[in-house]
Amino acid sequence: MKKEIQTASSSLAVDKVSLSFGKILVLNNVSFQVYEGEILSIIGPNGAGKTSLLNCLSGFYQPDTGRITYKGEEITKVAIHRRASLGIGRTFQGLQLFPGMTVLNNIMSGRHILMKTNFLQAFLHWPWVHREEIAHREVVEEIIDFLEMEAIRNEVVGNLGYGLRKRIDLARALALEPKILIMDEPMAGMNMEEKEDMARFIIDIEEFKSIPIILVEHDMEVVMDISNRIMVLDWGNVIAEGKPEEIRTNPAVIKAYLGEADEEVNHY
Amino acid sequence: MKKGQEMQSNQRPIKFPPIGADTVPKLLRLRVRELGEKVFMRRKNLGIWKSYTFLQVYEQVRNICLGLLDLGLQEGETITIIGENELETFWTEYAALCARAKVVCVYPDTTPQELEFILDNSETVVVIAEDQEQVDKTLEVRAKLKRLRQIVYWDSRGMWHYNDPILMEFKEIQERGKKYGQKNPEIFDQKIDSGQRGDVAVLSYTSGTTANPKGVVMNHNFLLDNALRIFANLPIKKFTRYLSYLSPAWATEQWFGITLGLLAPFEINFPEEPETIQSNIRELGAALLVFGPRQWESLASSVQSHMLDAGSIRRFFYDLGLKVGYKIAAGETEGKPVNILWFLVFPFADQFILKPLRDNLGLKNCYLPISGGSAMAPDVFRFFHAMGIKLRNAYGCTEAGMFTTHMGNKFNLETLGSWYVSHRDIGPSFESKVTEEGELQVRGGAGFQGYFRNPEATRKAQEDGWFKTGDAVRMTDDGQLIYLDRVADLRQLSNGYKFPPQFIETRLRFSPFIKDAIILGDIEKPYVSALINIDAENTGKWAEKRGIAYSTFPDLSQNEGVRNLISQEIARVNQMLDLKARVKYSINLPKELDPDEAELTRTRKLRREFLEKKYGEMIQNIYGGSKEFLSEIPVKYQDGRTSVVKATVYINPVEPEHPGDSTI
Repeated sequence: MKKEIQTASSSLAVDKVSLSFGKILVLNNVSFQVYEGEILSIIGPNGAGKTSLLNCLSGFYQPDTGRITYKGEEITKVAIHRRASLGIGRTFQGLQLFPGMTVLNNIMSGRHILMKTNFLQAFLHWPWVHREEIAHREVVEEIIDFLEMEAIRNEVVGNLGYGLRKRIDLARALALEPKILIMDEPMAGMNMEEKEDMARFIIDIEEFKSIPIILVEHDMEVVMDISNRIMVLDWGNVIAEGKPEEIRTNPAVIKAYLGEADEEVNHY
Repeated sequence: MKKGQEMQSNQRPIKFPPIGADTVPKLLRLRVRELGEKVFMRRKNLGIWKSYTFLQVYEQVRNICLGLLDLGLQEGETITIIGENELETFWTEYAALCARAKVVCVYPDTTPQELEFILDNSETVVVIAEDQEQVDKTLEVRAKLKRLRQIVYWDSRGMWHYNDPILMEFKEIQERGKKYGQKNPEIFDQKIDSGQRGDVAVLSYTSGTTANPKGVVMNHNFLLDNALRIFANLPIKKFTRYLSYLSPAWATEQWFGITLGLLAPFEINFPEEPETIQSNIRELGAALLVFGPRQWESLASSVQSHMLDAGSIRRFFYDLGLKVGYKIAAGETEGKPVNILWFLVFPFADQFILKPLRDNLGLKNCYLPISGGSAMAPDVFRFFHAMGIKLRNAYGCTEAGMFTTHMGNKFNLETLGSWYVSHRDIGPSFESKVTEEGELQVRGGAGFQGYFRNPEATRKAQEDGWFKTGDAVRMTDDGQLIYLDRVADLRQLSNGYKFPPQFIETRLRFSPFIKDAIILGDIEKPYVSALINIDAENTGKWAEKRGIAYSTFPDLSQNEGVRNLISQEIARVNQMLDLKARVKYSINLPKELDPDEAELTRTRKLRREFLEKKYGEMIQNIYGGSKEFLSEIPVKYQDGRTSVVKATVYINPVEPEHPGDSTI
């Protein structure tokens, strides 16, 4: 069930962002908007600049020119950890979890920026510290329930499979109660069943939490199925933007992916 | 052993408790009055066990019952509950019974087609579904169900954008019930008072290995009869910690959980998720467990596979402890002579090896572990007994109730145990006989109530007032039964020899490397052969240990080392069989058997006819004398796509373990 998106309410806006490493231009005047309550997918061939763009959004990279505004405020120069507390959550392409800790503690670490206790207080473990921990634990348990991870709650992350680790990564991103969620290739390396589960979770997050989701993903079937809108990058340029059915037949996109416009496109 | 019309009337002096109620709702009300503030149910939610007292449960049941009445539920109409074992499942069943409606519980993994048949056959008016998955299934088939008025769901996840008027949230039923109760404060008690012991309470759909499922009628008398049989014949303790795991779609849970849970009463616990069952058992220290053979077998094989992985020192101590355990258990349960030396070592073995093992399985506090549903090999029982877990078999059938269980301290593992005695207020005394064909027939107790809307099947199932179980058994001299197979499944070879395929299959399944076995052989076949579904996990580990490389399941199954391994396992079972019943050739299936492809029932029983058709090519080859052939098996994926598994399949002769030793 795909719904119509209110184009009036923009959550995140990227305005003419360019980024280069030395002489290589990675992003060239990229502009787009993310609206409230939509799943926007960014696709493109390898090396198109997708991850670099995400890194600009979450603050790992500083764009050379251009502006990024979030809920009307400019955040181009805001530091990474400040962006997290503004409500920009993200998951990673490579896994950035603590493999020696339990699933529960990994997700709890997502609550870090929301905790008021300082290091010394935590060490002394005063009653209010304990109360705060319980409150955070409750939120985390709800996420565990939401992502159906009860059975692995106390497992050490290092012992778990790749598909589950991806889910833990998502759980941790949700733990900081994001207002917008950026996901970098959440389905890479997953089998069919894990992909279906993850797609279901992404739709559920969007429906239940009503937050916009930016998705970078290679699996076209999934992208076409769950996105409200798709933006296509190629060599740092936005070459197309629109609904899945428009993108599917866009000759520029087909050319970027296959090199020739007249080839079969059935693999979508 | 005598055969024929020998009748067994089971008269043992048994003390029954006073019942005090003739329907399940009356029993519930009685327990609430006696034990109001005691904990009755517990569920783990968001990582914490939450308790509900008898009064709290009663309040919920009342609201749900009144909510259903407010929706227009009439006496005698049917409600279907589809979902995992959760508080809501039990509450709703009690509530519907209070409203004098019939209840059908359905396995959560039932397919839409099966669901449609059951909803239609049972004349269901309201479906109470757990979540989106179950709602979607019901919506898919609703167009053909004229009687269906409402679909209620209790987990609203994913349901945010559904706005079909037939849907309703569980909370709304409860709210409606509250309001309805304020306007009609007397009606709930009146409904309970008006209930009769002969009211139909539950329709239990049998899994239907051959045809469409049949709805077995169970009235309140029947439910109470069975709960009383168990309560009076087994050492059931008050407030036993019980973990509800078997689906109430199965009659066993209707007797143990729903009815005995009230009669005893139990503290009924619900697992957080079906996947967390193992850790939940351990957290709880569950004291009474009823599992099917599959669960016990998989528990046994998980111990075995963990030990395959363990280092040599651990394995040494494990083997040592288990050896002592086997000796002691054989003496204690089966009355075999035991050297006094074993008694001297036992306390150490028990304290340092067996007790930690029990603790790890979460069975440290389990005083009554029961296996029921179908036959399980004595080896599995012995394995658990060796660990100090006194596993007992329970035998019965949906239509006529519980028959026998291993009772007392000493029992014969080859038999099904001693007979239950029925309460004299319920009906005539419970009797059994074995016919010329070796079929077990029973009568007495609350008795068989028939199949719902199926008079023909009801008539066929009975003969002169006896219920025909369809089970082929042998009766020992002291009146105990040895289960052989279904009468219809006993098969004759071309040389006239009759052999029990299931008997062999059960014993093969005990091997950690064999997950399922299909035994072949009939009037046109001169000998017995087997199709084996290898256990991918354990066999895979075994192969890895030996440096055997493999890519996929088909590859692993046809590997030469694996084929030899399986042949050895079959040869071991062959030792227990008559010479003529021994398995001569076997094939490892290049694909796992799957209930989604209708190869197994939902309780993982084999659908024999279907399998013999589907694997007809293999069966031809196994009796055709070839050594290998190229097989093509169609498979259906969960999302509906189909494909073909192609593999070269080998036919493996099962060598005798000691060549030349052919006279046993």
